[in-house]
Amino acid sequence: MGFPRRSLSLMFLAPLLLVSQAWSDAHGPAFGYSTTVLGAGDSSIETTVMRRLGTVMIGPVVAYGLRENLQISLSGPFNVNKGYHPVERFEAAMPGVPSVEGMVAWRFYDKLSGIAIRTESTFFVGFSGTTQHLLRDDGRPLEREPGLFGAAAVSRITRRYYLSAGAGYQYYGAWDSGKLDRESDSLLSSVVIGWRPPVFDRDYPKPDVRFFLETTGNWVGQAERDASEPPGGGGGQPQPHVVPASPEASTSTSQSGVIVLPNSGGNSIFSGPSVLVTLKSVGFQGGLQFALSDERNGIQPAERYRAVVGVSYYFLGGRGRR
Amino acid sequence: MKFEASSLLRRLTLLWMFLAGTCLHAQYERVQLRVYGLDCELCARGVAASVTRLDGVKFVQVHLKEGIVDVVLKPDSRFRMSSLRKRIRENGFRPMEAKVTALGKFDGSRFEVTGSGESYEVSVAAQRAPPPIELTFEAH
Repeated sequence: MGFPRRSLSLMFLAPLLLVSQAWSDAHGPAFGYSTTVLGAGDSSIETTVMRRLGTVMIGPVVAYGLRENLQISLSGPFNVNKGYHPVERFEAAMPGVPSVEGMVAWRFYDKLSGIAIRTESTFFVGFSGTTQHLLRDDGRPLEREPGLFGAAAVSRITRRYYLSAGAGYQYYGAWDSGKLDRESDSLLSSVVIGWRPPVFDRDYPKPDVRFFLETTGNWVGQAERDASEPPGGGGGQPQPHVVPASPEASTSTSQSGVIVLPNSGGNSIFSGPSVLVTLKSVGFQGGLQFALSDERNGIQPAERYRAVVGVSYYFLGGRGRR
Repeated sequence: MKFEASSLLRRLTLLWMFLAGTCLHAQYERVQLRVYGLDCELCARGVAASVTRLDGVKFVQVHLKEGIVDVVLKPDSRFRMSSLRKRIRENGFRPMEAKVTALGKFDGSRFEVTGSGESYEVSVAAQRAPPPIELTFEAH
């Protein structure tokens, strides 16, 4: 019943391989969008453990501030086990499926209007490649390469309060398979309200604590399979929770020769608390979201909650570091 | 005799270079810069870490609630106010007015900080300070 050896190796090796001078968005919410970027020359490394349905993922992220308003990051979430796996992004900072994603965050607007008051907006563009295929009982794994992600977020931050909203679209293509198989596109939107209790409103250098209420909405399109190709097997041993083949679920074939998979896509809304604690150059983050609404197409399992725990280390000092 | 003249010339040249080099050093003593946008402990840590690495900085204290970055300089440092402002912007924050303590001289109504090439318009009252002039003033 233990984890596969390869996954265990990846779990321990990947964060080590990614240890370099490299902040994701662990400066803010755990699930939703954050507009904050690293200072010029600053860097960070973060590792997040995510759980949804039966799947556990580990998501290492390294980030570097090119300029005061421009940040690049590289994330590589991977599966630790093999459970049923929804495809949508549920943490804004990285893909929701095993991939490697390079992202550019450009804070194109910032208004620093007072002591500890900032209003800012950030664009995100990401490009990803597949690292692990998701096995399906209803046929061969679907293509997710190239993955393109575009998002925008806006926030208003003060010492006491934090308000952020954002939305982003994830597109998956199939550029080298020769087939028309394609994983679902998805959209992730978020609204985050944050609060720093007066007891933690202390001066530097003291530990900092912020609480958030994060609400995220997902729209997931339906996946497509090439009608001219036999669906093939599951690509491996049957998994206990992979998307099942459903005899009653009829597929529709469009004129373009694509079968729309009935057991894919849907809409969901999740909400729940998260907390961010920073001690010196280390950030700790945790969040739990519960389903307010979960309407999946076909016979996909219902997702009741999502959990995230992460730790980050920041290499601060920027351009002055030698 | 020719050898002695050459030696004297060399010594004078070295002395001139030493004095010139000394004069190049800025005479900022302390800068209390107001910064907009600092909203968290990590932001303060980043600013403190990068400002500490500026030339001539002896000590940095960040007061989050007041939005003040307090910089104490070493004697004869190469510190420039423009470098501090640039460093704050690189961290993603906005430098505002500053309270500066520095040694310098007046050039008309402007107070020129010794060796920095930086000067500031100061109040008439401040201009009456007796030499050697060590002045605390607001810099924008």
